[in-house]
Parts: sequence; C-alpha cells; structure tokens
Amino acid sequence: MRAECRRGLATVIAGILPILAAAASPSALAAPAGAAPAGAAAASARGTANSEEMSTALLMSPSQYRLTIADVFGDSIKVNGRFEPDQREQGLLAIGARTDNISDNSLESYADLASDIAAQVVDARHREELIGCQPRSENGRDDDCARVFFARVGPLLYRQPLTVDQVQAQVTAAGIAADKLHDFYGGISDTLAEMLISPRFLFRYKIMEPDPQHPGRERMNAYAKATELSYFLWNTTPDEKLLQAAASGEIQTRAGLERQVDRLISSERIQDGIRAFFADMLGFADFAAVSKDPSFFPLFVPSIKDEAQEQTLRTIVDHIVNRHGDYRDLFTTPHTFLTDDLATLYDVPLVDMSDNGQPQPWLAYTYPPGDSHAGILSEASFTTLWSPSGRTSPTVRGKALRENILCEKVPPPPGNVSFKFVEDTGNPQYRTTRARLMAHRTEPLCAGCHKLTDPIGLALEDFDAAGEYRTTENGVPIDASGELNGKQFVGAIGLGEAVHDDPAATNCVAQKAFAFETGYIPPRDDPRWREIQQRFAGSHYQVLELLRAIALSDLSYAAPAEGGALAAANH
Amino acid sequence: MKLNQILPHGNVRRHIFKTTVAAAIVFAPLMLAPSPASAETRGYVISWFATATNNPDFVQNCPKAAGDLHRLKFGAAANGQLQNGNTGDRDHALVNGKPVPPLDYPDAVVKDPNQETVVGKYAYGFDLGGPAANKFIDPETHEKVDDQLWRAIGCANNFQQTPPSMPYTEGLGWNALIDSAPGWAMQITGTDLSKDGPVTVTLDRTMRHLDRDALGAVRSNDSYVLDPDPRSHNVLSGEIRDGVLTIKPAYIYIESTMPFYSQIDLKDAHMRIRSAAGGKLLGYWGGYTDWHKWAYMYSSRPANSDPVGYYRALEKLADADPDPVTGRNRLISTTWRMEAVPAFLAAADGKILAVASSAGLGGRVHALDVAENRASSEPSTGTKSAQ
Repeated sequence: MRAECRRGLATVIAGILPILAAAASPSALAAPAGAAPAGAAAASARGTANSEEMSTALLMSPSQYRLTIADVFGDSIKVNGRFEPDQREQGLLAIGARTDNISDNSLESYADLASDIAAQVVDARHREELIGCQPRSENGRDDDCARVFFARVGPLLYRQPLTVDQVQAQVTAAGIAADKLHDFYGGISDTLAEMLISPRFLFRYKIMEPDPQHPGRERMNAYAKATELSYFLWNTTPDEKLLQAAASGEIQTRAGLERQVDRLISSERIQDGIRAFFADMLGFADFAAVSKDPSFFPLFVPSIKDEAQEQTLRTIVDHIVNRHGDYRDLFTTPHTFLTDDLATLYDVPLVDMSDNGQPQPWLAYTYPPGDSHAGILSEASFTTLWSPSGRTSPTVRGKALRENILCEKVPPPPGNVSFKFVEDTGNPQYRTTRARLMAHRTEPLCAGCHKLTDPIGLALEDFDAAGEYRTTENGVPIDASGELNGKQFVGAIGLGEAVHDDPAATNCVAQKAFAFETGYIPPRDDPRWREIQQRFAGSHYQVLELLRAIALSDLSYAAPAEGGALAAANH
Repeated sequence: MKLNQILPHGNVRRHIFKTTVAAAIVFAPLMLAPSPASAETRGYVISWFATATNNPDFVQNCPKAAGDLHRLKFGAAANGQLQNGNTGDRDHALVNGKPVPPLDYPDAVVKDPNQETVVGKYAYGFDLGGPAANKFIDPETHEKVDDQLWRAIGCANNFQQTPPSMPYTEGLGWNALIDSAPGWAMQITGTDLSKDGPVTVTLDRTMRHLDRDALGAVRSNDSYVLDPDPRSHNVLSGEIRDGVLTIKPAYIYIESTMPFYSQIDLKDAHMRIRSAAGGKLLGYWGGYTDWHKWAYMYSSRPANSDPVGYYRALEKLADADPDPVTGRNRLISTTWRMEAVPAFLAAADGKILAVASSAGLGGRVHALDVAENRASSEPSTGTKSAQ
C-alpha cells in the first residue's frame, strides 16, 4: 500500500513539474486576470486551487525551508537531507530563485525531505503535540481529527487561510490513505508529505489584486505581502501576528505596515534575515565546494568551512544589530568573533576556559592596532572561499569583490585563453602569484579584464588559500600593494579602507537587499528607489534602516513589470 | 651511580615534595607571572613524546633478533594465556606456590625470558655519570650516553620504530592521550630568544587536551590555558648555545594519564632541544626514571609486547637509586625523544604568558632537522616505517 502511495505521489510530482516550470517562467507573469493560478493548479490534485492571479513565484531557499519547518512544527522536527544547488543570478540566489526551475532530481529531494518530515510529525514522540487530537482508532480514518490537524497546519504551510473545501480536500485524501493503510497516522503523514511538495508551500507567489485606493492600479495581496515581508526580514514564514495583520487588512495601510515592519525589525529574529541576506550576497553557498589541500594547509581543519561563514555572519549581525554601525565600517572593523580553530588559523591567542569535549565557544575578539586583519575581507570566509584548493587567485578574489560587494560586472575569460603562466607554480622565473599574473597580463587578450580584478586581489596576497597570514611565497617576500578604482593601498587593511570609501559599496548593498526581497534589480530611475537610497544614506548607512526603507516602500510590493527588471530579461 | 647522592629519597624526598607543593601553592601566582618586561617568552605544547629509539643500527644492536624473525618470546598470541595465568610449565608465575597471572606478577615468573638486550654502540641521550661499561655514544653529539632502558628493551619488536613512528604501545597511548587528556606545555623565557643566552624553561600541564590539525598531527599556534595545579609545574634553568637549548640537571615531574605514562618522573633530568622549521622544537629529555612505573605502562597494555621480558631486563639493568633494604636499583637511565609545536599559553585568569612563534631558538634553524620535522608532523600511529 505504501508503494502504491509512493507511486501516486510520483504521478502527482510528474504532473507538477511542467506547471512549476511555467509558474516560474516570465510567461506565467502575463497570465490574464482571473486565470487559474498556475502554481495553485499544480497543487490542485485534490482541488486546492483558488482564483487569484499568480504573478510570479520565488522558490524557497534551503535556509528558508529549514526555518519554516521549525516554525510550523518545532525545532525537534529535523530536516534531514540535501537540497540541490540553487541557481545564482546577477549575484544572488534570491534572484535565481524566481527564475529557477525545479529539476527532476530536485523534486525528488523535496519529496524525500517531505516524507521524512511528515513521518517525524506523526511519530510516537510528536503526534500527541503536533496532531492536536486523539483519533478514535489508529487503524483507520478519523475525519474529525484529521480536520483539526489540517485546519491548523494548512494555513501555516500555505501562508494564507484555507477554505473549508481546501481543508476538506486534505481530510479526504488523508482518509483514503488511512483506510488503505489501516493507519490513521499513515494517512496524515502521506497527505502532509504531499502538501510539503506543493508549489504553494515551496514557492512564494507575488499575488496582485486591484488596489481599491487607486482604481486602475494593482497592489500586492495582503497575504503575499505578509509572506514577502516575513521572508525578507526573518527568512521564514509569517508568524501569527503577521497573518492576522494580513487578515484584517492592517498590513495594507501605511501605519499598519509600519507597525509590522518595526515589530519584525526590533525582534531578535531579524538576525535570521540579515544572516540569510549576507550569506547570499557574499556567496556562502559556494562553500559547499570548498576544499583545501591539507598537506599545504594543515590548519584548515574541516570545521573551518562552517566557522569561517559563521564568523563573518556574527561580525555582520553584531555590527548591524548591536552596534548600529555604518555598513561601510564592516570592511574596516577590528571587532569580530573567533573559535579556537579560527584563532589558530589567524595565529592569535584565544583563551577558552570551556571543558574538554564541549563545542568550541564563540568568543568576541578585537584585532589589536597594527594587526593584519580587520574587516570582513580579511576573514577566512572571503580569502578561502575565493581561492583554489592549493594556491591563491587574486583574479578570483578581485572578481568576487567586484561582483558581490560593488555590483560590478566582470566579463568571463575568453574561451581560448592560456593559463600557462598562472597555473605553473613551479616556474622558477615566476615564484610569486604576482609575478605569474604579471606575465599572464602581457597577453593582450587577458590584460583588459585582469586590470579589473588583479589589483584588488593582489592586496590580499598575504593571506594564503586557507586564510592564514603569510609574509613570503616560495621564499620571496610578498608585495601586497593594490589598487581599486584609482586608489592605491597595501594589504587587507588598505583594501578595506578603499572599499569603505567607494560609493559603489553602499549602492550595491542597497540594490542587493532590494533584490533579496523582491527577486528584482530595482529600477534606478524610479523615485521610490532613490528615496530608499536617500533614507539609507541619511541613516549613515545603517543596514536596519535600509531594510526598513525597503520594507515600507511601495516599490517592493509593486507588480514585477513596474517594480524592476526581470532577472531573466537582463541576460 | 649513587643517585641518592644527588637526589633526596624516602621520607626526605616526600618532605621536600610536600614543601615544594606548599611553596608552589603560595608562590603559584609569582611562578606564573611573566618574566621581566625585557624578557621574551615563547610557548609550546609537546606534540610528540616517546622512548628514544635508534634502529638504524638494529643489526649491530640485536644480532640474535636480527637473525630470528620469531624472536618475540611472549608474542601477542601468548598474552591471553599470560593474563589468565595459563602459561604452561615454562613461563608460569607462582606466589606462595599458587599460580598467578604473570603480567600482574612479572617478578614471580619462574623462568626469566632473558630477552636479548642491546649490544650496539649508539643511543640518544646524555652522560649521567654512570659506569663506563654501560656507555653508549650519542649519534648526534658523539658524547657518552647512559640509557640502560634502551639497552633493556631496544631489541623488542615494540621498539623497532623510527620517528615519526613511536614505539607501538606508546604510540597507542599517546594518541589516546592527546585526544582526551591535558597536554604538556613548555615556556621558554629569555632576554632575546633569537640569540644565545640564559633561559628559563617552564613545564606545566594544560587545562584542555590538545587539538589536531587537518593531517592529524598536534596543531601549531593553538591557545591553551595552563593548569594552576603546582604538581606539574617545573621551572628549570637553562641556556641556548649555538641554537641548542640545554638545562641544568633538575627534577621533572609531570602528571599524565594512562594508557600513556601515568606520569613523567625524571631525576637528574637533562634536555637537549633545537628548533626546526616552523618554530617547532625537536630534542631529547634524559635522566633517571622509575623502571617499575615504566614497565607498568606496558604490562597494563601488553599488545605486541613482552612485558615480563621487559620487566626482567629492566630489573637487571636498572642503574640508580638502590633500595636500602634489597639493594636493587629502583631507577634506570633513559631518554625520551620529544617534539613541540608553537602555542599561545595563558594563565587561568586569561593573561597571555607565552606567545606562539615560528622563529628559531638562537636564530638558527637546524637544516638537518627540517626533513625529520616535516615527517613528524604526520600522525604517529606506530605503524609507519622509517622515514
């Protein structure tokens, strides 16, 4: 019977696939008003469709998925499994999410996750708390008890109220499965698993509706607005208060929206949103592919990969939330947090009084004056992520900084380029990376792009591919001089100051924050976008004020064509 | 060698130990305090420590064993029988006429295994003033060496290892120790450690166990808090000359944890330590140690060893500290090989006492040691062949 259910699930999945693709494609945006919503139709195997217009969809990120499951079912429900790699567009996964397509493999992964989560929800440890009622018999259907469960969980998963018919569809499906399985909880589990692979759960939809305040114009549906706001600021599903604000219409008023935005920003959970945004902006998803040769870098222990990301995210959250610091100072701040592993990598003392066997604590640390480290560019999250496994690459580091921090495009290398100089680390004529790159740049085909990247990356050459400080390479003293947009400097400290003073840095973070919420690059000429930028600058570049300005701007909830350029259209 | 001429014994020794403990408690803050402002203190943790072996000379050292692949009298297969006391007529142990487990009563084994002892010329160590007949020659310094422990056990399989491999049983114990028990820290203090001159060497235990790097070796540049317990606190006077650190003979005591040595207890202790690549240290500690305690580590974990053979050989070759009643020597001359990696060391109040440095002692890195040092950075499993 379970095999039959699995086959049934596979049939549903197969049916959803093309519709998901359509929902995520630009053509879906042009669906006429009143047309059946593409994504909802996909989930309508048991009649869960509604009649609202579906404008566009954003696939939930892995971190959003995890937080959402934890918020709906509790921390004890574990998300055991892997997610397929996301698509990065224009420097953000959040943009890629709206142009993303779900592959067969990815959908299988979601199905496996869903089955595992659903099984945990109904297991003996959780069922009493999470189902919310006791079935008359565990050996078959109990529609009343199933209704209690789906009426509570359905709105949380789909982030809007369900109609009586929609709830009944879940109850009916669970009953059929329970009868066949002779297992009430099996029926609940199978139906819940299908809800968890529904597009209505996996995708956030920008649902537009006529704006009663401005006839002839559209506005975002209140629940879609609450959802967008919650995933932007908390990186998770709307809480009860936000759904109530949507239900009452409060969120559609300026004052009501301000109340909710201020509530979300003043909550500790703003840290989740900040972490998700900067992890995306800084490309941390690419850490999954990072490895270092231990024979060259014995201090790069396996835990460093996670700890390097965590160090930077802790530094950012502390700077933004606790210190209310200027965004630009993130590139020069001496304040950070270290574990024993990181302190060893950075060759600094860190007094840890915890007992043997305890997890390494995170301890606040301030680099002393004159230290080679300051700012997030000197941290292992940058220097290791943007280096090959056995050597540094100033080109890769420079490109990452240009694209991720300054939002500047660096063209890809031509197909027929020769890397004979840069990859030959044993050439006695070119003993340093700088020397090899200089030789490489003598080829006219390469010189143009390398001018954009190498002068930046060469300033970080005193950090090896594992993020450890060094003064020599192959016995030759390292020259860490660099240049950014005409400004000369030396080392990571100088680079951090140059980025700090570059106006592209603040423009870039504002643009990426907007895109992180909406999936769109903001239209530069729109006065609402200029107002967001002005508010950010007026706050001395406090990121919380930037987030607030974006969250309160009509531009963030405008129809896609009005709100910004489609990512796909920019390619 | 009459060790009781240079070391206190019995009640006198216990009194001095108590006095030392009391003084250490009273003066612990002073002892942990940094040296004068002009001084420099570098920190290290011991990253490799085992009985010094010298196996390139195996054929000369142990001619019988070299010609006999089945030389181990009490092989691994026999250990189970030994522990059960079921050893047959030849090797059984008797106490008051009753059979007992030989490993628990090695001195009661009826028949001495008479294991082969080293007859070669070379061994690492120090001239402790022992009789001329016992002397080895140090392959490095070409000085005379007292190392009767090596003479006693150097022909046994367990010790046919060359660094970075440790003697098998010690390697097992060491690897368990560094993952689970406090490490051993060393501070070297001097006016300018890049030059020759007088230094102070301070030994302590750390509060936590050591951390490993990505290759499984003890990690450089880590930070450790020192255990304020004075029992393992040793302050030694020394000097660096031509890049080699030595100490004035002293008494060293460091608590440890089984299955490694339960303590390092070294009388008339000598050191000879040089710096190698990356600021690491490599050298030898020698002196007299309690051979009963040494033997106990092996009899408690008899894998791949002949604890009874060791016991009897040690007993016969012990060369210091005669028991006033039996006249049997209680100590034996020995040498341990050690390595240390740079570390930051802090007091329990968080104050940094010593910094990790990649610079060499006396400004000289011994080029010959670089290759060995690099090899020793690999995990010591006791199974690797010679470098």
